[in-house]
Amino acid sequence: MKTIIHDLDEYYDSLFKSKCENVIRADGRYAPCQGCFGCWTKHPAQCYLKDTLQMVCRLIGKTDELVIVTDNYYGAYSSSVKNVLDRSIGVSTPFSTYRGKQMHHTLRYGKKKKLAVYAYGCMTEDEKKTFHYMVERNAINYGFREFEFHNLDKLNQLEEMEL
Amino acid sequence: MRTVFINGSPKKKLSVSSYLLGIVRLLVRGEVVSEQVRNVGDHERVLKSIKDAENVVFGMPLYVDGVPSHMLAFMKEMEKFCVDNNIHLNVYVVSNGGFIEGCQNRPLMQVVGNFCKRCNLHWCGGVGIGGGVMLNVMRIMFLVYAGLFVLNTVMSGLTAALPIFAEQLAVVLFFSLGAFFYCLRMGSAVNKGATCGVKFTRVLLPSFLFILAADIFFVIISIFQGGIFKGWLSRKF
Repeated sequence: MKTIIHDLDEYYDSLFKSKCENVIRADGRYAPCQGCFGCWTKHPAQCYLKDTLQMVCRLIGKTDELVIVTDNYYGAYSSSVKNVLDRSIGVSTPFSTYRGKQMHHTLRYGKKKKLAVYAYGCMTEDEKKTFHYMVERNAINYGFREFEFHNLDKLNQLEEMEL
Repeated sequence: MRTVFINGSPKKKLSVSSYLLGIVRLLVRGEVVSEQVRNVGDHERVLKSIKDAENVVFGMPLYVDGVPSHMLAFMKEMEKFCVDNNIHLNVYVVSNGGFIEGCQNRPLMQVVGNFCKRCNLHWCGGVGIGGGVMLNVMRIMFLVYAGLFVLNTVMSGLTAALPIFAEQLAVVLFFSLGAFFYCLRMGSAVNKGATCGVKFTRVLLPSFLFILAADIFFVIISIFQGGIFKGWLSRKF
């Protein structure tokens, strides 16, 4: 199963929906993570905040290929896309293990295939390095076996791409 | 000298970020202001607060290897504000992650460094701390031990109570020593408007013991909150 998370407008939303069954449009109309750990300790794999992201960790957890299209914020995801990721920590369990020689949480839904991130917007060389490193870390954290990071010069590149 | 401490934790109380900022603050002289960013509604107030400041110290939790989303939104607003108002602050950050390795805060540090370059602010460095939740537990344990010390003093006298309390205090202090040292060092740098570099530290406990303690902690919390009876580790959702 493939899922696309993006922070673009309705045009691209329709475009992605024509290519992929699961599309999350990160429009920012939801609350940020409150850091309560309730999605681990109180109501597993479910957020207590009753908005469009309440069950997002279940969708992301079952995804083999996660594609993220995001604006560049200092070598990181845009706040609206990051909000989706912050609210998805229920993809893991509260138990910890070692992955990539460091501590991480065990995966509720097991290992996944690929994380691909397409970042658009002006990006400095330092920001490119940071973003690449961030995606690498995220891939370990979410249990993706492979990861890709692409910096898009122009948004319309997305129209011809096979995401 | 005006220093604004910006707590980026979404928690209203007992956040690790506010605790760590409190330690940095111990050595900071001059006018000190504490702010918290929890949502968009806080942006205007906090931006007004930094207008005449010389230093800003961010404190934030590590969320999914990076800066929490609500802080990214604030930083975007702050970039515009600083550029429009020609503001050149010294910026410091204390971040804490749930994982034991402090170096897992590295991407967050890089993002804040990139942010400073974009805004033409002076990136003075940060401290990335691993095992943040345990630091909070240590803080609560200190209060419990202090309470027991008072009780013990009333019941058995100061000579009997003091050695026990001193031993408990030493253990709590030992585990938190790395965090305390680097936070105080940052406080000293803030005072001088100096850079302190990017440093990583952790709760001073071997990682396998930390993992064991974290697992036990989550089992206990999950029993009390009921998650353990609701398909706690299930893949069926």
